[in-house]
Amino acid sequence: MIELIELTKSYGRVRAVDGVTFSAVPGRVTGFLGLNGSGKTTTLRMLLGLTRPTSGLALINKRRYRELSHPARQVGAVLEQGICQPGQSGRAHLITQALLTGADRARVDPLLEQVGLEDAAEQRCGEYSLGMRQRLAVATALLGDPAVLILDEPANGLDPEGIAWLRELLREHARNGGTVLISSHLLAELAQLIDDVVIISQGTVRHVAPLDELYGSASSRLRIRGRDPERLARAFEEAGAHVGIDGDSLDVIGLTQQDAGEIAFEAQVPIYELATNSLSLEQIFLDLVSASAPTAAEEAVAAEAVATDEAAETDEAAVPKEEAAVIDEAAAIEEVIR
Amino acid sequence: MIAVVRSELYRLSTVRSSAMSVAVFGAFGILLSLVSADMWALLAGVAAFGFGVTGVSQHHQHRTAVQLYLARPRRILVLLGQLATAVIVSVGFTAASGAVVLIQGDPKRYLITLLVAPLMAVLGAAAAAIVRSATFLFVGFAAWILFVEAMYGKMQEPLPFSAYLDAANGDVRRLLILLGWTLAVIVGALFAIRRDLNSD
Repeated sequence: MIELIELTKSYGRVRAVDGVTFSAVPGRVTGFLGLNGSGKTTTLRMLLGLTRPTSGLALINKRRYRELSHPARQVGAVLEQGICQPGQSGRAHLITQALLTGADRARVDPLLEQVGLEDAAEQRCGEYSLGMRQRLAVATALLGDPAVLILDEPANGLDPEGIAWLRELLREHARNGGTVLISSHLLAELAQLIDDVVIISQGTVRHVAPLDELYGSASSRLRIRGRDPERLARAFEEAGAHVGIDGDSLDVIGLTQQDAGEIAFEAQVPIYELATNSLSLEQIFLDLVSASAPTAAEEAVAAEAVATDEAAETDEAAVPKEEAAVIDEAAAIEEVIR
Repeated sequence: MIAVVRSELYRLSTVRSSAMSVAVFGAFGILLSLVSADMWALLAGVAAFGFGVTGVSQHHQHRTAVQLYLARPRRILVLLGQLATAVIVSVGFTAASGAVVLIQGDPKRYLITLLVAPLMAVLGAAAAAIVRSATFLFVGFAAWILFVEAMYGKMQEPLPFSAYLDAANGDVRRLLILLGWTLAVIVGALFAIRRDLNSD
């Protein structure tokens, strides 16, 4: 069980991670999605005790990482890009880690076999491809047979076969009651793996939900083509839908297929095409992130506000503004989902 | 702490470049000890310092410090383990490379160097925990010795490397000065290791 409660990291006046709160529960794979620089890695590093939070709590099995008695037996982590000492062989690397963590050395060879490195066990890590180093990193994470796995971009450098292997490994781990928290920018791959999704943007969590719910909330987007698009659009908007025009088609959010058909019938506009536009995780993610990103005008206002803050206000006085910004962003996200 | 020491010693023995460094410096030490016990003692101190520095800084250079701190999040114990490893390696290196000095009938010099050289290893390891970069540390230390200790202090001031040279000759007061410097750097390292371990 992983719990993050109002986790915040500031570098000077910049908040890299701002009040991040979510949980990853046993038996499920939780995807942690965000653009580069959104605060994913900093959050994971705080969770693992490598970076000190400015405020907030990061708990694994109800305890801070540094307070875990045998952390490697409870938590396996894959961070950065296949860390290993380039002068060591893969086997020597794992034995070094086994000595360090107190794991059973007898697990080294089976793990090398499990990650497909048995033939390269005596090869120096420096000669490994990125994919091989990632496999070694996964083996290192599994060394202590931990219940919790935390992986930051683990699919980097893996070939399609490797990605499928990793996906099955993590699903199996969750099926056996383990907790998996995985960050990745390969959203299509992640969509096939995760149960729950956490979306972070500009250091703030924008959305936390089961993946099915996220798809469900976005599935009411309809693509509709009819004889009179303008009249149709007006009718849909009067019914409370959000309507976008894409050539001679309408992009309608907020109506079911049945509702749209009834409204078009009442408006006496023949429909030529009515289809549910199933969004990919990538599209939903980009919609959520772009909805929460400030516009150029908002950025200018925000910059002015910051300048004013610097001149006159205390940090305490700035808090209500931040809360208001979060509420505005949450409203924008809900708008997109609706 | 014992787990860190065991792991570090295993790592040292299985990283080809590290094992080669110990072997080459060991052979060089034996050659120098045939020429002069003073030169051997000088090499023992420099090599011990170098082993201490590389033992710690390699973890930051290759990012394995991440795995080190994930496995052992209590960083003070990790540092103590690394300092202990530096002592063990430098004692082994000094003992083996100085065997000729012992055989040639200078046991006092041998034993004093065996006592003092590990302090240089600890000094190097603790300094590396602060600086985290072997390159910066070696360049900085070379500049320090050249400009501060040699040109300014004429190797007579109570500074670490000058103190080592005299301590290795049996000067107890200079040994205490070296010990003081080493403890000061250890205290600095105890604070420095709390810093965030940032990604690349």
